[in-house]
Amino acid sequence: MTDPAEVLAQQVTERVLDLVVSALDVNELAARIDLNFVLTNVDLNALLSRVDVNAFLARVDVNAFLARVDVKPLLDQVDVNELISHVDVNELVAQVDVNELVSRTDLGAAIVSSTGGMGAEALDAVRSQAVGLDQFVDRWVQRLLRRRHPAPPAPSALLPAQAEP
Amino acid sequence: MIARPVPVGYQGHYAGSVSRFVAFVIDLAVSSGVFSLALAAISYGVHVVTGHSVSWNRSTPLVAVLFVLWEFFYFGYSWAVSGRTFGMAALGIRVVGADGSVVEPRRGLVRAAVFPLSFLLCGLGFLGILVQREHRALHDLIAGTAVVYAWDARAARLRFLARQ
Repeated sequence: MTDPAEVLAQQVTERVLDLVVSALDVNELAARIDLNFVLTNVDLNALLSRVDVNAFLARVDVNAFLARVDVKPLLDQVDVNELISHVDVNELVAQVDVNELVSRTDLGAAIVSSTGGMGAEALDAVRSQAVGLDQFVDRWVQRLLRRRHPAPPAPSALLPAQAEP
Repeated sequence: MIARPVPVGYQGHYAGSVSRFVAFVIDLAVSSGVFSLALAAISYGVHVVTGHSVSWNRSTPLVAVLFVLWEFFYFGYSWAVSGRTFGMAALGIRVVGADGSVVEPRRGLVRAAVFPLSFLLCGLGFLGILVQREHRALHDLIAGTAVVYAWDARAARLRFLARQ
């Protein structure tokens, strides 16, 4: 049997606690707490080591989260020029396989229809043949003259531009 | 003609002997053709106006002088204005200054004026195109010019790839 006095004491205590809690302004109380002081005493590493991040992320609806993000002001803060200035465009373009690109897209058809006719095709062929013969003749002349040092390939003003015409 | 990969990396390089020779042959054919047409047109005009027929003999001094003047105009005007003749445009080559700069009109005219020298020395003036390190003929050395590849090889390469 429970002592009636003890029961009464518990009831009184609960009532008092209810009154105290209801009288407390929780916001006021929270404002008085020095969170920095509290956090300095918290071992965040130990806390985080106990968190199952994967399980947490599995419950997050990323699409819904991203849908609520206003990307525009975020992008407004990005200095695109500064960003691009860090990009080595030559390096980027060098990694593009033009042959593969043209073969896998309609780019080739667009190029042919926009710039190529029979005339352009014939000119390309004649010029390519002529350049090939130029190189052939030049190689033989250089051999006959026994030149050890190669001649400059282009006039000085055109040298920087001749790397990749 | 067998399609061969377009040599993309040669733009701006000194043009070789074959390209220059083919361009010259085209120019000679075009300029001679235009000259002959002009003579025929003059003959026709004279016949219509006077009723007399005029025949032109290429060996007569007057026709020879006219032909030389016409050739000087054809090459000189082309080099002075754009740095290229019709034949050079077809082969994708261009006359530039010795340092690669755009050729000045004065240099273009000087080049046309001294161009016959390369012929008059038994063609030895053209030997420089073969053996000179910068492929410059005698008239190039005198006029301070050079000839380079100037065609858009990048676009040609894309066209070549597109046709594959």
